Amino acid sequence: MSEIKKKILDALDVETFFVCENEEEARGLALGLMAEMGFSQADVVFLETKGPGARVRVRTYVHRPGNRYGWL
Amino acid sequence: MSIPSMTKKKVLLAPVDPVHDVGLKMIRRALQERGHEAILLAPDLPVEEILREIARSQPDFVFLSRTLGYGVTETLARIIDLADFAGLREKTRFAVGGMAIRPQLAAELGFDRGFGPKTTVEEAVAYVEGRKLTERESGPSRAKRNLSSNYSYQFKHPVISQVLTELVARTSGWAAVRTSPGVKRALLRQKILQVTQRDETSPIPEPVSLMAQTPLTPEAPFSQRRELHELRRQYAQLAGGAIRAYYDQGDLPPKTRSLSKEELAFLTNLANKGKGEERQLHLPDQRPLIFVQYGTGCPFMDIAHIKLAEAWGADGVIHFDPSWGARAEGLLEGNLSHEEDGSILTPQNLAIIQSSLTRGTLWQVRAHRGLNTPETVVLAGELGADLTKINIAYGSLGGGTDPDRLVVDGYQSMKLAAAYGLPYDVVTNEELAGVPAHKALAGMLISAALGITLGGRPILQPLFAYSPEVMIGGQMDDNYVDFNAAKILALREIIDAPLWPGAPVGFLTQSEDRVQSSLATSLHAMLAASMGVEAITIASSDEAYSGGPISAASRVDTLRAVAEGFRFLGAARIQHTDRAREWADKMVHDIEEVLEKALEAGSLRDALYQGVLGSQEDGAYPGRAGRGTVREIS
Repeated sequence: MSEIKKKILDALDVETFFVCENEEEARGLALGLMAEMGFSQADVVFLETKGPGARVRVRTYVHRPGNRYGWL
Repeated sequence: MSIPSMTKKKVLLAPVDPVHDVGLKMIRRALQERGHEAILLAPDLPVEEILREIARSQPDFVFLSRTLGYGVTETLARIIDLADFAGLREKTRFAVGGMAIRPQLAAELGFDRGFGPKTTVEEAVAYVEGRKLTERESGPSRAKRNLSSNYSYQFKHPVISQVLTELVARTSGWAAVRTSPGVKRALLRQKILQVTQRDETSPIPEPVSLMAQTPLTPEAPFSQRRELHELRRQYAQLAGGAIRAYYDQGDLPPKTRSLSKEELAFLTNLANKGKGEERQLHLPDQRPLIFVQYGTGCPFMDIAHIKLAEAWGADGVIHFDPSWGARAEGLLEGNLSHEEDGSILTPQNLAIIQSSLTRGTLWQVRAHRGLNTPETVVLAGELGADLTKINIAYGSLGGGTDPDRLVVDGYQSMKLAAAYGLPYDVVTNEELAGVPAHKALAGMLISAALGITLGGRPILQPLFAYSPEVMIGGQMDDNYVDFNAAKILALREIIDAPLWPGAPVGFLTQSEDRVQSSLATSLHAMLAASMGVEAITIASSDEAYSGGPISAASRVDTLRAVAEGFRFLGAARIQHTDRAREWADKMVHDIEEVLEKALEAGSLRDALYQGVLGSQEDGAYPGRAGRGTVREIS
């Protein structure tokens, strides 16, 4: 784990607005973005599709309770 | 308030910007209100003109402000150089502030004082007057507040009071002559803690030395070790399978591990993070106090969340244990972490968490609705918690615990809490299962009356929630205010007792959208402030997300939103409509009716089994955990 990621207390959230057709596409884009950033274990916390696309909040846990924390 | 004339100062204020002079105008007003002479120059004067004005007016202080970032260093350096050259700094102190200023830059340029972007007017005035900020100016006091001390606990409604008196007498008469494994374990736990506390080399507040299997140091006398061994053996015999396996063989439940010595060595460092940098959510005398629940699963992650909650202004924190804790007979020992929601209740986990708390932070240690309620009260009392929680009706109807068992355990828990001087809340979360508010409030009132009779100080927890009752009945079709307000109005007609809506406020109104969720919480908090209640518990902005643990950033979201709510509301109030009054009157009437039916049923236990306080049709089911474990005391 990088020194920067070690400093993340628990979760990393990414929020954005995707220009897309529907919820399924938005979900794929959100998880794909996280995978591109090196986070294969990600989950969509919030997604709302309206108008030209979707408001998305996607999350990965860098440290889950019970892990050995990089920041400790 | 003005100051003595001999201490009045002359202050010249000069915005070194084209238009940005709002901050200096606010400081001018505050200085003038305090009796100082404050002269504000026009914005964006040439440096030479500012200096001519200083030379002419001979002020005690010059306050410069600068918002725009370009050319800051050059402009301010020139002012200081010219002021030095002209001998203006012999009498006058020079300060600078504004969005473009950092105290470090001001010091490097030779200013007497630099104020950063978050400077308050009060700080500037205090600097002129050569004093420290008062407690009110600097933020909330961290002195702990007692939630229950300002209440008489008198019942105001004569009929309800009379019915409750009879119900309490019948319930006490039945419960006082019975015991359970939970009650016996609580008494053993008291003894275990007393033995370990007698070992002066291994006091409870220093948890690193209190490891699971040998909570005494090798130096402890043999007789003491033998006594502890015997107590733990007796304890294990009263524990359920998974817990007993721990005491007998040292086996831990799945996904649970002991924290290592290396991890524990970092405790002090973690506990000190953020000390002395607390944010204010509200003024010291404002209500309600704000509580957040922690219970990440790991005491270290808990401490990290507690420290950020304290830093962002929470008044209190609540230990939230795993849901399986309600159905497991017995508690574990040791510094344990596990990978699911809720942090395992052990003396050692609680001790390290307690050691991390800022002195003014209120701490509630609660049991999860079930079989370890008396022992949890013992842990709370012995380890210095400020509050605990005792559920009878909710634990029996919505928490899965057998009513007989929870009446006996709840009764003894109330006696223990009274002995420790621990206030406790009494919840009405059975509303979330579908029980109508008036039935839930009736159950809460029986528990509260029982607790008062036993010398305790219960705190009533009506829900501020979008409950199944209102989803179906439509009471919140127009607004979330009236029906919640009605619960407060109704309770206040019945009893003079502290109220702590929970838990968390706005239950089932929050979504996974963090803006909506934070706002919903903040608005419910402001309703609580408007109703003048003692405390509330708030959600995090990811409370509605079920895919993982609550994150630190999401806690900050909600705390910031609540702080902004307090700033917005101040002394103003949210006004409920007349419907709230109508519903409150109906609620009081319905509560009275339910209590009379409970009396017809017999006592609290009978009312719980017979569905008087919540029926199967409502969504309440008498629990089974602990059934058949209550025994008469011979």
